[in-house]
Amino acid sequence: MIVCVAVVGYQNNPLYIQSFTDADDALKLHHIVHCSLDVVDERVNNPKKSGPPLNETFLGLLYPTENYKVYGYLTNTKVKFILVTTDLDVRDADVRNFFKRFHAVYVDAVSNPFHVPGKKITSRTFAERVSTIVKSFGLSSAG
Amino acid sequence: MVDPANTALGKMLLEEITPVVMVLCTPLVEESCLKNGLSFIQMLSPFCNFTNIDVPVRTASDQPYRLQKFKLRLFYASDIRQPNLEVAKERLKQVITQAGEKDFSEMLSDPPQVNDLLSRPESEIVPSWFQFFNKELVRTLCFSDHEAFDHPVACLLVVSSKDEEPINRFVDLFNTNKLPSLLNDGAMDPKVLKHYLLVHDNQDGASEKATKLLTQMKSTFGPNDCQLLCINSSQDGQNHHQGNPWAPFKSDALPTENLGCFLNIDDFNEIKDLMQELSSKHIIPFMEQKIRILNQQVSATRKGFRNQIKNLWWRKGKEDASDSPNGPVYTFSSVESQIRILGDYAFMLRDYELALSNYRLISTDYKLDKAWKRYAGVQEMMGLTYFLLDQSRKEAEYCMENAFNTYLKLGSAGQQNATRCGLWWVEMLKTRDEIKEAATVYFRICSEDPLHSAVMLEQASFCYLLSKPPMLHKYGFHLVLSGDHYKKCDQIKHAIRTYRSAVSVYKGTTWSLIKDHVHFHIGQWYAFLGMYDVAVTHMLELLACSHQSKTTQELFLRDFLQIVQKTGKTFEVLKLQLPAINISSLKVIFEDHRTYASAAAASVKESVWRSLEEDMIPSLSTAKSNWLELQSKLVPKKYKESNICVAGEAIKVDVEFKNPLEISITILSVSLICELSANPEEMNSDGNGSNIELQNDQNKTSTSTRDIDSSLILSEVDLSLEGGETTLVQLTVTPRVEGILKIVGVKWKLSSSVVGFHNFESNPLNKNVAKGRRKAKYSPDNYLKFIVIKSLPKLEGIIHSLPEKTYVGDLRHLVLELSNRSKFPVKNLKMKINNPRFLNAGNQRELNVEFPACLGKKTNVVQSGGLSNINKVLQNVFLFPEDISVQEETSLSWPLWFRAAVPGNISLCVTIYYEMEDVSNIMKYRTLRMHYNLQVLPSLDVSFELSPCPSRLQEFLLRMDVVNKTSSECFRVHQLSSVGKQWEISLLQPVDSILPSQSLFAGQALSCFFKLKDRRKSSTSEDSIPSPSLLLQSDVRLGPQGNSEALFDVHSSPLADFHNSERLHQEMPLQGNEYKVDFVFISQLLKGDIDSGAPNTPLLISHHACHCSLSSMSSISWLVDGPQTVQHNFSASLCEVNLRMAITNSSDAVASVHISTFDSPSSGIQSSDASAPQPGSPPENQAGWCDMSVVNDMKVITSDVLATRFTKSVSLESVSQFIWSGSSSTKLELQPRSTAEIPLQISVFAPGIYDLSNYVLNWNLMPNSEEGNQGEANKSSGVCQGYPYYLTVIQST
Repeated sequence: MIVCVAVVGYQNNPLYIQSFTDADDALKLHHIVHCSLDVVDERVNNPKKSGPPLNETFLGLLYPTENYKVYGYLTNTKVKFILVTTDLDVRDADVRNFFKRFHAVYVDAVSNPFHVPGKKITSRTFAERVSTIVKSFGLSSAG
Repeated sequence: MVDPANTALGKMLLEEITPVVMVLCTPLVEESCLKNGLSFIQMLSPFCNFTNIDVPVRTASDQPYRLQKFKLRLFYASDIRQPNLEVAKERLKQVITQAGEKDFSEMLSDPPQVNDLLSRPESEIVPSWFQFFNKELVRTLCFSDHEAFDHPVACLLVVSSKDEEPINRFVDLFNTNKLPSLLNDGAMDPKVLKHYLLVHDNQDGASEKATKLLTQMKSTFGPNDCQLLCINSSQDGQNHHQGNPWAPFKSDALPTENLGCFLNIDDFNEIKDLMQELSSKHIIPFMEQKIRILNQQVSATRKGFRNQIKNLWWRKGKEDASDSPNGPVYTFSSVESQIRILGDYAFMLRDYELALSNYRLISTDYKLDKAWKRYAGVQEMMGLTYFLLDQSRKEAEYCMENAFNTYLKLGSAGQQNATRCGLWWVEMLKTRDEIKEAATVYFRICSEDPLHSAVMLEQASFCYLLSKPPMLHKYGFHLVLSGDHYKKCDQIKHAIRTYRSAVSVYKGTTWSLIKDHVHFHIGQWYAFLGMYDVAVTHMLELLACSHQSKTTQELFLRDFLQIVQKTGKTFEVLKLQLPAINISSLKVIFEDHRTYASAAAASVKESVWRSLEEDMIPSLSTAKSNWLELQSKLVPKKYKESNICVAGEAIKVDVEFKNPLEISITILSVSLICELSANPEEMNSDGNGSNIELQNDQNKTSTSTRDIDSSLILSEVDLSLEGGETTLVQLTVTPRVEGILKIVGVKWKLSSSVVGFHNFESNPLNKNVAKGRRKAKYSPDNYLKFIVIKSLPKLEGIIHSLPEKTYVGDLRHLVLELSNRSKFPVKNLKMKINNPRFLNAGNQRELNVEFPACLGKKTNVVQSGGLSNINKVLQNVFLFPEDISVQEETSLSWPLWFRAAVPGNISLCVTIYYEMEDVSNIMKYRTLRMHYNLQVLPSLDVSFELSPCPSRLQEFLLRMDVVNKTSSECFRVHQLSSVGKQWEISLLQPVDSILPSQSLFAGQALSCFFKLKDRRKSSTSEDSIPSPSLLLQSDVRLGPQGNSEALFDVHSSPLADFHNSERLHQEMPLQGNEYKVDFVFISQLLKGDIDSGAPNTPLLISHHACHCSLSSMSSISWLVDGPQTVQHNFSASLCEVNLRMAITNSSDAVASVHISTFDSPSSGIQSSDASAPQPGSPPENQAGWCDMSVVNDMKVITSDVLATRFTKSVSLESVSQFIWSGSSSTKLELQPRSTAEIPLQISVFAPGIYDLSNYVLNWNLMPNSEEGNQGEANKSSGVCQGYPYYLTVIQST
C-alpha cells in the first residue's frame, strides 16, 4: 500500500504531500520525505557509472527504512516525486508505471494557468486523480 | 595511507586492548598512597603507558621485532569481574547528564547556522563528550568471559613495610578465596605471572627495615620477582608536579587538590623505573613465552591436514552433546580458549599475522560449535586485526558486520557487545572517510535503551553533517529523532540542544509541519525548564500556523499563552504574526485644507474632488503657493512636502487585520504608535543640528507616548476575529499641539500580556493611499509624516434625511446642516454639487417651509415666468449669500432640494468651500467634502405620444402611458402639467373612468388621452370651440375631481429647476421644431416601505418628459371645414356644397402650397403613389386614434402597401357621385407661421355619403436665405393625400 506521495519543488520546497493512512503520522511521513531528498541529491549529483542513462527520470529505491520503502522520481524541471510504500516487495516496473502516470497528472495540474509555479498545488482535481492512481497501484500490485 | 595504528581507532585499540595486571595490595599500602590523594593504582597509572619502551619481541616466528609503544592496564582484583549492568548504565547516564548540563550552559546563545557549522573544523562541531561516552560504553564490557585480552597477564602483589609479617601477607594476598570469581571458576587462567612489591613509606622512617624485608622476600619468592618501592620521600608535602601526571586518572579530583604532594622526584623516577622493568623484563617475556608454548600446542593439535580432519570429525560428534544458547562452555584450558588466548596475546604484542591466523582457526570452530557469542567476538577481533594490518578493507568490514549481526542475533545478551562492535566499526569507517556508512551503523547501534540510542542518533546526525557533501536533511531528521529519545529519558537539556540544532536545518524552508513540531517542542521543553523567555520566542514561531488543524492551532495558542502567563511579564513582540496585518490595505486619511464629512467621502478618488472643486477654490496654483510660502517660513525644507494636518483633528488610519487561524482570537487595545516631535521652528534654527535634535525629540516623545501624553490622543479598539476573518480597523490619532507627527506603526494586545507591534515603514510603500496622486511624489517615509499646524476652524456638515434608497422621481426637501465647532467663524461659503439633477440648493426662506404644500400653486402670486431660475441652476457653484457666515460653535442650516432623476447607484458629491476669518493662518480656506451613495429604483415609466388632431388645427392628441415598474409600491396619480404657457392641456375623458382608484398598483399600466392645444395660435385664427373650463389650463388634475388638493406649480423652484436640469440632460441635437412640449407628471407614493426614515407624508414623485413632439409632423397642416350633413332636393338641382380649407404653415420659411382636386380618384392617387413615402398621409383610422410613430422618432410609417390598400378601398366605392367644382387647382404662398383659408366647392348629384379625400396637397418650402441648415426632419417639400372628410347628403323631401 502506498502510504504517502509527495511533490517537492526544485528548491526542495514541498509542493504537495499527501498521506494515505488513517493514522496520524503526517509528521513522520514529512520527515521521511524530507530525508529522502538527501538521497535524491546524492543520486543526481553522483550518478553511478553503471547506473541508468542520463535522461532517466526514475531514481529507483531511495532507501529502505524500517517499515517503508521510498522511491524517487525526478522530472526535467528538477521537481521530485517521492513515493513511500509499505509493500516490501514492489516491482520496479510497477513503481515506474506509477510515476509515469503521476507525472502526467502533475503536468496537467501545473498547466493550469491559475497555478503559480513554485507554489503548493491546491487543485482538487489533482488530489482526486492522485488518489485514484494511488488506489490502482495497490490493486495492480496485489493482483 | 595513514598507519592504522595512528588513526583514531588504532589509538583506541592500542589503549584498550593491552595486557591487564591484577593488583593485590594490603590496606596499609593504600593508606600510604592516600596521603597523596591517590590510590595505589592511580599512583602507578601514569607510568603504565610507554611510548618508547623499545623492547625486542620474538613470538612464534624466529624473527624478533621491536615493540615501541606499550601499555599496561592495572586493576584491583576486586574489579576483575564483569561490571554490573545497572551500575554501568547509571554511570553512563551520569556521563550524559553531566555533558548535558555543561553543553546547555554554553548554549544560551543562538545555535549556529548550518553553513557556519560546516565551515568549522570537525572537532568543533562534534561535542567532545561523545568520545568520552563511547569509551565508557566500551569499558562496560570489559572482563567478558568470551574474550581473552582482559585476562590478567600478571599479578602484582603489594605489601607495605608496615604490615606485620609481610611475607605471610604476600601469601595471604594470593589466597584463592580472595581472587576474582572469573579466575576461580575457570574462565581465566589463574596461573599468571606473580610479582611481589614491597612499598615503603619514607615518612615512617628509614628504609633499612624495608631492605631487610626485601632480602627476606627474595629468598622466599625468588630474587627476580621481588622489588622495593619507596614513596612519600618528600617530608613537607609541598611538591608540585608540572602538568600533574595523575590528574587524568583521578576524574573526580578537585583542581585545588595537590596530587602526589609527598612524592618527590626520586619517588617519581622510582615508580617509573619499576613499571618499565615490570613491563619489559617480566610481562613481555612472559607473554612471549606463553605465545610460544601455546603456538606449539596449537600446531601440534590443530595444524596440519590430519589434525583438521580429526578436529572436524570430533566436532561433528560433539554436535548433539551441548546445545546451550551460548554454545558449549569453554574453560581456559580448553583448546579453543587456548587458541583465543594465543591470538589475543599475539594481538597485544602486535604480532597481527599470528593473531589473525589463530582467530581464523578458532572462528570456524566456534561457528561449528554454534558458540555464537565467541564466534562474534573472534570475528570482531579479526576485523580489527585486518584493519591494523591495513590489508583488506572489505574483509575487515565484512568481519565487523558479521560480528555485529551475530551479536544482534543473540538478542539482549549481545546487545552491548554489538554496541561496542558497532562503535569500532564506525571508527573504522570514519577512518576511511566513509562517513555516510558510519552514520547508518550508528543508526543500527540504536538499541532498546533510548538513552544510548539518543546518543548514537546524535552521533549519526553529525556523521551526515560531516559527510561530503553534507546531507542536511538527514542531519535534521536524526537530530529530531535523537531529541525524541533524549526526551524519553528526561534528558531535556540534550533534547533542546538537538532540536535547536535541527531548527537551523528547517529554517527558511516551507516544511512547516516539521518546523512547527520542532519549535513547539523546544518551546515546551524550555517552559518545562522554567526558561519561559526563550520558550516564548520559539512559541512565537508557531502562531501563524494556518496549515495546521484546528485542534493543533488551539493547542499551540493555548500553550503559548500559558507560557507567556508563566513568565509573569508583558511581552513586546515586533511583527507578531497573530493577527496578520495586510499592509497593502493601509490607508491614511487626514485632513489638511480638505476635510471630509464622512469616511465615505474620504474614500472617493481625489481626482473626483479636484474636478469638482476646480472652479471653486481660488485657483489651485495660487492657493498652493500662498500657503506654501507661508509654510516655508515655518517649516524646514525637508518637511516641505510632508502632509499637513491640523492640531485637534484626527488622522485616521485604516488597517486590515486578518486572523490566519481557524479559531477565533481576541485582540485588545489596538492603537497606533506615533511620535510627535517638537516645534518645527526650533529645528529650523540650524540645519546641521536638526538631525540630532530630531533624534532627541523622538526619544523623548516615544517614551512619552507610552505614558499617554496629553499631546496625542490615540484611539483604542478591541476586536474579536473569527477564524479566517478579515476586519478593517480604523484607528485615529489626534495631535493636540503643533509639531511633526510621525505614525510609526500599530500595536495591539493578544491576551493580556502579549503586545504585538508592527512598523509600517519597514514595508515597501504601497500605492493604495487615499491621496494617491500626490503621494507618488513622496518618499515612503513622508507619507506617514505630518506637520501639525495650529488648530483651524473646521466645518462639519450633514444632509439630514437623505434617503439611501428611493424611487425615480422622488422629490424631497432636505436640510444641510453645517456646524462649526471651533472658536473662529468662517465665511464666504460656496457649494458645488456634482449632480445637479439630483440635488439643488434652495433659498434660505425655503428652510422651514412645509413640504409638499409649498409647491402648491399660489394663485395670487404673479408668476414672473417659468424660466426665471435657470441662471441660478446653470451656475455650477452655488454661492451662499455673502452675509452668511458660520459663527463659532453654531451651525447653519440650508435647504436643499432633492430629486432622484435616474435609476441606478448614484454617488452624490457635495463640496463646500469656506474661508477662515482669521487670516494669519497657514491655510486660508478649507473645503468640506460630503459624499452620499444612494440607490435609486425605477418607479413609473412615463411616455408620451403626440399626434395631430385630424379635426382641429393647432390641436393635438396626447397619449400618456404610465407603467408601474415597482414590485410592490402603489402610486397615486396626481397631476400632469405642460411646461410653458403656450400649451393648454385637457383631459379627453375623466381619469375616474379609466382608473377608478386613482392608484397604480405594482405592474399596472395606464393609458390616458389628453388634448393639447397651442394657445399661441389662437390669437391669429379664431378658435372654433372656446371651452371656458379648459382655458388657461396648463395643468390637469388626474386625481378625483372633487379633490381639494392643490395642484403643484411646475414653474417655480424647485420643480422648475429640476425640470431645467432634465431639459439640459434630455436635450436633443435637433433644434427648431416648433411643436415641442415638456410635460411634468406628478404622482404620489402613498406608503413608502422603501425608506423608513422618510416622513409620513406621501412621497412626491415627479417625472419629466422633455421635448415631446410630433415625430412626423410636416410643416404644413390643413383642415377642411364645412357642413357634415346637407339636405338637398336632388330633383330640383344638383347640390353645391361650400367647404373651407384652412392651411397653416408652421415652419419658419415661406411655403408654396398647391392643391389639386381630381374627380376620378385613380389618377390622382397614382401620382401620389409615385411620390411615396408621403409624410402626413393618414393611414387607416383606429377608433379616432391616428397610429403614429413614437414621439421624437423620425420613423415614417406609411408604406406602399398601406397606400395601395387605401387606393383600392377608395376605388371600390368610387362611382364618383360628386365632382369638385370651382378651381381644380389652387396655388398659394404661405408666409411663415401663418394661416390661410381657401374656399372649396363640390357638386353632388345624388344623396349618399361622400369621402372628400380625393385631393392632393403639394407643398414646397422656400429655402430660407439665412438659415442654411434645414434639418433632415423638416421636409422641404411634400405631397399629401387629402384627409378623409365624410359628407352626408340626404334627399330632402
